[in-house]
Amino acid sequence: MRRLHPFTLLTLAVVLPALAWILPAPWGGAGTLITAMALLLTPGASPGFGAARTAVITAAPFWFFLYLLHGVGGMVSTGLRLSTMIASFVWLVAILPPARLVEAMVAAGWPVSAAFLFSATLQAVPALRERAQRLVDAQRCRGLATRGGPLVRLRALRALALPLVLSALHDVDERTLALETRGLVAGARRTALAPPADHRGEQALRWLLVLSCAVLLVWRVA
Amino acid sequence: MSIRVLALIPFAVAISLALSAIVDAVGLPLFLDTTGTILATTLLGPGAGIVTGVLTSTVNSLRNPTFWPFVAIQIIVALYAWLAARRGWFRSLRTAVPAGLLLGVIASVTSTPISYFVFGCSTTGGIALTTKLGQLIGLSNLGACFFGSFLSDFGDKAVTFALVTTILHALPRRTAARFPLALRAVGRA
Repeated sequence: MRRLHPFTLLTLAVVLPALAWILPAPWGGAGTLITAMALLLTPGASPGFGAARTAVITAAPFWFFLYLLHGVGGMVSTGLRLSTMIASFVWLVAILPPARLVEAMVAAGWPVSAAFLFSATLQAVPALRERAQRLVDAQRCRGLATRGGPLVRLRALRALALPLVLSALHDVDERTLALETRGLVAGARRTALAPPADHRGEQALRWLLVLSCAVLLVWRVA
Repeated sequence: MSIRVLALIPFAVAISLALSAIVDAVGLPLFLDTTGTILATTLLGPGAGIVTGVLTSTVNSLRNPTFWPFVAIQIIVALYAWLAARRGWFRSLRTAVPAGLLLGVIASVTSTPISYFVFGCSTTGGIALTTKLGQLIGLSNLGACFFGSFLSDFGDKAVTFALVTTILHALPRRTAARFPLALRAVGRA
C-alpha cells in the first residue's frame, strides 16, 4: 500500500468520504467506514493500531455531540459518514510522508511555487508553535497574568500574539533574501530527486474511482 | 507570484495555527484561525490571502480533517478583509471591531449550511452545546445551528480584526515600507 503513487493514495482518501455522503445512509456510510478501517488495520500494509486509535479518539466526540443533538438515528447516519472522513484522512497522513507528495507534485509538472508553499508551510507550523509556547513561558516568567477577567485575558493575548507575529514577519525578510539568492522564480522547473513511479494501472484506477463517484452522484440526484 | 508572497504565505498559515497555543494559555473561547488569512490579505492583497486560507484549511485538516469543508469560509474572509483594507477599516480599533463583528455575522451565515449538512452541527464542543441550547429555547434545527455558529464566530472575528489592526499599527517602519498595501490599510500612505 505504501508503494502506491501519492496521487492514488490521495484519491482513495478523498473518494471514500465522498462515497459516504453520496450513498444512502446508514449502509453507505457503514460500508465506507469498514473500508477505511480496513485500510488502517490491514496487517503489513497499513499504519497500524496507533493510527486507528487516533481516528477513534478524533471521531468519538462527534458521536457524543450528534447523539446529544439528533438522537440515535442522526448519530448513526452522520457519525458513520464523519468517521469515514476522519479515518480516511488519518490513514492518508500516516501512510503518505509530505516530502513524497511534494516529489510527486514536482514530477507531475506542478509549479515549483506550489510545491515550495506546501513543504515550507509544513516546516513553519511546528517551528512557530514551539516559538509561541516559548513566548508564553517567557511572559509568564516575567509575571504576565494570563488568567482573570476577559480584559486581563485580552491584554495577555495582545502581549503574547504581537511578538509572535512580528518575529514571524521578520523571518519573512530573511526567507525572501534566501529564496532570491537561490534563484527561485516563477515558471522555473525543478527536477524531482526520486519521483514516485506512476503506473498506467494506477492512473486508470484513479480515473475509475473519480468517475464512479460522479456516476453515483448523478444516480442519487436523479 | 512574487518571492515575497511565497515567503510570507507559509508564515501566515503558521501564525493562524500557532495562535491556538496562545489562546489555550489565556483560556479564551476563540479560534483566531483566520488571523493569518486576514494579515496576508492586508499585507499583500486578496490572492495571497486566499492561498493562505486554503493552505490553512489543508494543513489543519492533516491534524483534524473536519476543518477541510470550511475552506470556503477562509476564502470569504480573505475577500472581506480585502474590502475592509480598501475601505480603511483597519485604521483604528473603533472601525476594526465593528467590521470584525460584521464578518462574524457573514461567517456564521456561510458556515451554518456546512456545519448543518456535513456535521449535524457537531463541529466543536462549544458549538454543539450552544446549538443544543438553541434547540432547548425552541429554535428549529437549522436555526439552532446558526445560533451556535453565530455565538462562536461573532466574538472571534471581532478579536481577530482587532488583533490584525494592532499588528499593522505596530509594524516597524522598515518592515511596513515593504508592504505598501498595509500602509494604505492603516492610512499611513
